[in-house]
Amino acid sequence: MIAVCLKWVQPHGAADDRFAGISAADQSALELALRTAEARGDEVLAVTVGPVGAERALRDALACGATRAVRIATEPGVSSLRTATALAAEVDAADVVWCGDYSADRGSGSVPAFLAARLGIDQALGLIDIEINGNGSHIRAVRRLDGGRREVLSVTGRAVLSVEGSTARLRRAPLRSVITADAASITVRPLESPDISAADLVPYRPRARVLPAPASANALDRVRALTDTGAAPSRTETVVLEPAAAARRILDALRDWGYLT
Amino acid sequence: MSRFDADAIVVGAGPAGSCAALALARAGKNVILVERGPFAGSKNMYGGVVYPRILDELVPNWWETAPVQRWVVRRSTMILADDNAFTIDYRTPSWGRPPYNGATAYRPDFDHWLSRQAVAAGATLVTSTTVTGLLRDPAGRVNGVRTDRPDGDLSAPIVIACDGVNSFLAKEAGLYTATDAANFTVGVKETLALPRSVIEERFGVRDDHGVDIEILGGTSGVNGGGFIYTNLETVSLGVVLKLPKLTAQSKRPEEIIAGLKRHPAIAPLIEGATVQEYSAHVIPEAGLSMMPTMVTDGMLVAGDAAALCLAAGIWLEGVNFAMASGMYAGRAAAAAIDQGDVSAKGLAGYTKLLEESFVLADHRKLKDIPGLVLSDRVQQKYPGFVTSVIERVFRVDNPNPKPGLRRIVREERKRAGIKLGDLLRDGWKGMRGFG
Ligand SMILES: Cc1cc2nc3c(=O)[nH]c(=O)nc-3n(C[C@H](O)[C@H](O)[C@H](O)COP(=O)(O)OP(=O)(O)OC[C@H]3O[C@@H](n4cnc5c(N)ncnc54)[C@H](O)[C@@H]3O)c2cc1C
Repeated sequence: MIAVCLKWVQPHGAADDRFAGISAADQSALELALRTAEARGDEVLAVTVGPVGAERALRDALACGATRAVRIATEPGVSSLRTATALAAEVDAADVVWCGDYSADRGSGSVPAFLAARLGIDQALGLIDIEINGNGSHIRAVRRLDGGRREVLSVTGRAVLSVEGSTARLRRAPLRSVITADAASITVRPLESPDISAADLVPYRPRARVLPAPASANALDRVRALTDTGAAPSRTETVVLEPAAAARRILDALRDWGYLT
Repeated sequence: MSRFDADAIVVGAGPAGSCAALALARAGKNVILVERGPFAGSKNMYGGVVYPRILDELVPNWWETAPVQRWVVRRSTMILADDNAFTIDYRTPSWGRPPYNGATAYRPDFDHWLSRQAVAAGATLVTSTTVTGLLRDPAGRVNGVRTDRPDGDLSAPIVIACDGVNSFLAKEAGLYTATDAANFTVGVKETLALPRSVIEERFGVRDDHGVDIEILGGTSGVNGGGFIYTNLETVSLGVVLKLPKLTAQSKRPEEIIAGLKRHPAIAPLIEGATVQEYSAHVIPEAGLSMMPTMVTDGMLVAGDAAALCLAAGIWLEGVNFAMASGMYAGRAAAAAIDQGDVSAKGLAGYTKLLEESFVLADHRKLKDIPGLVLSDRVQQKYPGFVTSVIERVFRVDNPNPKPGLRRIVREERKRAGIKLGDLLRDGWKGMRGFG
């Protein structure tokens, strides 16, 4: 079984569902779940943790081709850990669990990581490019690293994969499926996992960090200094050397950077 | 069920479509309402005032749940000349109490609410889906629609086209004769944000009470009119402009709005406001003379799609005509299904319902008004004439004695270059036109 976890967000509160939806990342996850299942000839389970309004996310998923849908009933504002724990109980039979890299509201991207930990399976998070082989047994995933670098991962076993919004474009649901999904039955389960630790009760706040005002007179440099957070300083270096010396220099650099031992 | 996907398909979840679907659902019919926007009303705009009396028939006590900005307790008609203005102003607190009269409302709120009424009654609403064409049976009768979704054909014995002005469905069905740009006006509107208390002070209203102002003149010489409506924390200000005149004068609508906003009678009302939204839409203005055939085999047309918007010159009532015609279309469709005859003949009950109600009665009564109000004389000469007469009536010019009204009218009429015969004829036309 392939699973996809979707988070329904109502930006204007419970009474107004007009601008509600799932994030672009969740849409990509749904599309990739459908493609994986198609390749494998498997079924797709769509799961959401949320209030009754969130069933629209599931109906949309069913209209697009998901096989089953489960809603774990909660009010909005449940912690990532609790959400992941509840999801884990639902998707523990899944071979691949697709998630969006960020939801449309908090967007901390922590649920997929907690979920992988709860399931005790591999994780590959924040993926930006996905290729699924013909029978769905092998997924090639590209992950963004700091400083503009990429990492290519090969996924063959059970894993939680979280993707960015640009990885896949969600298909348009066929008309008839939209109409039947409108009346489809959705399994609703109560949220169990009551393990609320003190940490869960702390309101969500993005982590703040104090940065000194950048010194440069150049605005671009100042913006870079503020936004290239944590990135290693650029390792680009131009040197002019004889071919043999140049080769040695490159090998030294690769060894320094940890690519060669 | 039968070989059809539904008993009826309604295209467009504007006021006409939602009321058609609501009426069908109430009659126990299986109806699918198809809307291209992500929710009903998401793409819809208008001036800002709705007169929902007709909803008494469909949604009793609608005022308790309808998403209203302010109840209109004050209606004014302003005549603007160069730098001066004359206003006729009526107000009554009784319009601010149930059962109310008119209200300002935002379309994304109002249309969405109305579509929820249809869904609550059992209609199936399909959003983010655009109808791209009609399906017909071998005999040429309409029996469904094609949409832009995969596997997107839907079949039903009846299709109700509520797809708004310039309805391509009605055209595809051959219900319209040629389109003439002279039959249309373009409406352009700015939504201006102001603090609630400022709006209430400037417009002299309290609580959830509001104002509806129509304006003649002030459109930079392009035939048309203007309007100002108060919402809770915004003011809608716009102009409605005759299309051929607009192109002929090569003026841009936003310049005309800017000119209106600078007028000394308007500027203090909106001073300090920030533009929150700018929108534009075409209006079927020519009433009876441009209306299509209302039914054909398997299909009906309602609302703006049927050019049923009542545009009595500058006084626009489109939403109530759309809601009523949608409701009648829905009822006629349900009756035709029950009778087992969905041919044009079986659906003719719709035209009858329109004829017997205000929908066509008002159009007939006011049929000469758009032409009169948008005519060159009324547009270019009368506003200045009226305001200068009023100016002289109100001006105190001591030690000169007051001139008589008759003399003022004669002198100002001559100054404005209006022939007595034309004035009398227009006056008579107006008297008769408003019936
Ligand atoms: C500037 C301006 C000011 C106005 N002021 C007022 C006013 O103050 N008071 C008043 O009562 N009236 C006013 N009107 C008129 C009023 O807006 C219209 O008469 C009214 O909206 C008509 O309703 P309708 O349901 O027929 O069409 P619309 O409201 O146009 O609704 C049509 C619906 O069909 C959908 N649609 C269209 N094509 C398709 C398709 N192919 N597939 C699926 N869905 C489709 C659209 O998305 C839309 O939801 C004004 C109009 C304008 C332009």
